[in-house]
Amino acid sequence: MAKTTTVQKKRSMASEIWRRLRRDKLAMLGLAILVILALMAIFADVIADYDTKVITQNISNRLQEPSLEHWCGTDEFGRDIFARLVHGSRVSLVVGLVSVTISLVLGGTLGSIAGYYGGKVDNVIMRIMDIFLAVPSILLAMTIVAALGTSLFNVMLAIGISGIPGYARIIRASVMSIKDQEFVEASRAIGAKSPTTIFREILPNCLAPIIVQATLSVASAILSTASLSFIGLGVQPPDPEWGAMLSGGRNYLRDALHLTLFPGLAIVITILALNLLGDGLRDALDPRLKQ
Amino acid sequence: MYKYVLKRLLMLIPVILGVSFLVFFIMSLAPGDPARTILGETAPIESVMALREELGLNDPVIVRYVNYMADLLHGDLGESYKTGQPVISEILSRFPATLTLAFWGMLFAVVLSIPIGIISATKQYSIMDRVSMVFALLGVATPNFWLGLMLIIGFSLNLKWFPSGGNDGWSSLVLPVITLGTGCMASITRITRSSMLEVIRQDYIRTAKAKGVNKKAVIYKHALKNALIPVVTVVGLQFGSLLGGAVLTESVFSWPGVGTFLVNSIKAQDTPAVLGCVIVFCICFSIVNLVVDILYAYIDPRIKSKYK
Amino acid sequence: MEDKKYTVDIKNLSVRYETSDGIVEAVNGVDLKIERGKTLGLVGETGAGKTTTALSILRLIPNPPGKITGGVIELQGKNVFDYSEEEMESIRGDQVSMIFQDPMTSLNPVMTVGDQIAEEIQLHNKKMDKKQALEKAKEMLEMVGIPGNRAGEYPHQFSGGMKQRVVIAMALVCNPDLLIADEPTTALDVTIQAQVLDLMQKLKEQYNTSMLMITHDLGIVAEVCDEVSIMYAGRVVEHGTLEDIFEHTSHPYTEGLFNSLPDIEHREEELKPIPGLMPDPTNLPEGCPFHPRCSYCTELCKTRRPVETRLSDTHTVACLAYEEGTGVSLGGKLHE
Repeated sequence: MAKTTTVQKKRSMASEIWRRLRRDKLAMLGLAILVILALMAIFADVIADYDTKVITQNISNRLQEPSLEHWCGTDEFGRDIFARLVHGSRVSLVVGLVSVTISLVLGGTLGSIAGYYGGKVDNVIMRIMDIFLAVPSILLAMTIVAALGTSLFNVMLAIGISGIPGYARIIRASVMSIKDQEFVEASRAIGAKSPTTIFREILPNCLAPIIVQATLSVASAILSTASLSFIGLGVQPPDPEWGAMLSGGRNYLRDALHLTLFPGLAIVITILALNLLGDGLRDALDPRLKQ
Repeated sequence: MYKYVLKRLLMLIPVILGVSFLVFFIMSLAPGDPARTILGETAPIESVMALREELGLNDPVIVRYVNYMADLLHGDLGESYKTGQPVISEILSRFPATLTLAFWGMLFAVVLSIPIGIISATKQYSIMDRVSMVFALLGVATPNFWLGLMLIIGFSLNLKWFPSGGNDGWSSLVLPVITLGTGCMASITRITRSSMLEVIRQDYIRTAKAKGVNKKAVIYKHALKNALIPVVTVVGLQFGSLLGGAVLTESVFSWPGVGTFLVNSIKAQDTPAVLGCVIVFCICFSIVNLVVDILYAYIDPRIKSKYK
Repeated sequence: MEDKKYTVDIKNLSVRYETSDGIVEAVNGVDLKIERGKTLGLVGETGAGKTTTALSILRLIPNPPGKITGGVIELQGKNVFDYSEEEMESIRGDQVSMIFQDPMTSLNPVMTVGDQIAEEIQLHNKKMDKKQALEKAKEMLEMVGIPGNRAGEYPHQFSGGMKQRVVIAMALVCNPDLLIADEPTTALDVTIQAQVLDLMQKLKEQYNTSMLMITHDLGIVAEVCDEVSIMYAGRVVEHGTLEDIFEHTSHPYTEGLFNSLPDIEHREEELKPIPGLMPDPTNLPEGCPFHPRCSYCTELCKTRRPVETRLSDTHTVACLAYEEGTGVSLGGKLHE
């Protein structure tokens, strides 16, 4: 009985949040862009074949201006830029999601442990997190990639690791504020074991700040990947990554603007969409903050 | 106050120790043999082994770290594998260029963003507010290296107002500073606006109005100082991304700074140089955070009195 | 100036808030008068429009969303809506000052309390320099029982009761004609409440200040007020002297307020809280706004809005039971 009411309550809360979010035009714009991007990423192979269009060089066709045949023109190796952008969205979204998952799982675990047990455990974990925070995150990612080598997986790992302290902090704060509330005490009083308490009772209740942070950090993960690839420490050619494509276009700034313009716009639009959605979610989840 | 500064200074030591260990440890995971890198593929195995011994590469990580830190205390960051020069002098010769870039970038960001944020908040939903918020959103979303390339196309290749690279007088500084500062400017504008909006709804602002304080003084005397507290925090945090951004900006504009050196060192697997650059950046970041904390205590008496 | 009988005279004030959830008619045709040196209690539940009425006097209704849609507020015989913003600024804190509900949040956390008081002194006495103003601020602090040497401290270094003393010092430092106190003791401990009230009472008499005391606590009303207005859903439903209201309670809502108070002498008696909640302010009921909660409600009450009925020179009530020919009866349970 009690269980059904909580479920109902949660469902109505979600629909209330959705109702508020739907009224936020900018957030809806962000969401629409993201849905299109996701569809592009999922159906990338239908839009353009990877082997023949995305990585096969065709020198006779190089540096062509945008046309009906090549919507965004062709690059210095004669590859269709639009096809590469579409497949690049796949890389960006995967990097964003995987690295945020890494940060979330590791940071969340550390943060919950620190917040739940407090005392010495908390102190040790958070001092280590402070040390991570003292390294600017893109530098930390660069260092990790420098040590482990430049592969897509290492990039995701590096960006994921550099995001750990942010999540650890947020989740620790949420856990600390929630753990003393009555419903958690009650669950402990009926003999629930500590880890059960954390996962069953506390985490669902600090979802709001986590969702917002996750949305915004997918954006910064995509930006970091593009940055790393741009300086040659991320995704390696010929794989189509937006930052790597920009890097390739650098040498043709004067003659072939489209080489740098379109990948850059792709990054801007994606980050913008994620930020708009993140801001909208923050307002919808915590209406007190809305001005 | 003096006690607080001292305390924060002392707290810097474990952080720097921790950071350098973290970075040292990560770099020690690197595959490949530095001795082999230095001597080249054709060198006989005996000389590689001898060099390994000489460089201390056969010792456990922790021993190497202690040695490294002992040298660091003497201002010695080891020698570059690539050039054979002391890393510290390689960095110091490039440091002023990076510092110039970072300083002007931050100044550009702060000087523009805070007034824009205040005006946006006090004239919420005005055209000025909407326009600056659109630019702030775009500024946050634009990767600085791409912005740099676009600025080069517009102002260097087409208009020919500024050079597209190098460090040669103030005109070569303009585009890199805008490139580096724009992202920070956008973030600080957003936080200033939202913090100001939050503060002007507070009870003490109503009290000030009820006392007969005029509109301007309510904003600049009563609200601003309170609103700046979160802004200062963000400025400190932004300095971290500014340093990261400096690496990319330097790369775009062939700016002869520590960032370019770092990227080249990573590509050359020059471990001592990478380590040195990252540690120098982290020390800078920690010092800026120290300054921010002190500034914080200066603005917010609640923090100051904790350390009286 | 001095010959005016009323320090403040509010006639037919209406205020509305236009929010995304609808239009809130916060104040609907309120009349209030306070004689020089007298205290008027403004009583009602949260959301009745008490604070909105008070903020209207200072013209500090946040706009948007608030808008004064009608009425006149005369201070010393002059309508405040005719003043320019600059003139209003010179009135705020000088002629009229206000004490807010929560002392924890009503002082600026980054300014010393001395500076906050001195600022007000300098605003209204242009001739005074900073040093003199600070001196006077210290005197004022002493007057409310805070050692003058604490003027250099920040609000967080004071307790809640001490902060409210600082707020009182700030409100009275320019010797205002009218002091508006918006639930000045609600946020304080019970033991501190009495001290703060005594202090306000003492200073008010000393300066011969008029006072508008906003509260939901009838105990405070009995202690400090000369006259009382009971407010419900943006309207004054009953007004009279302390005696009128306490001895000749006439409106069912006022009765309800008294019944929900514990009576120390008849502890065995059950409390009778008023059933239901304040009506949704975006959708006020037709007829008498109190009818959904009124135990004497008739069909007529649901459609006809009561007007003010004069019961005596000092006592008015807005209830159909007192209007001729309505047939509404309070069953003889109430006075009159």
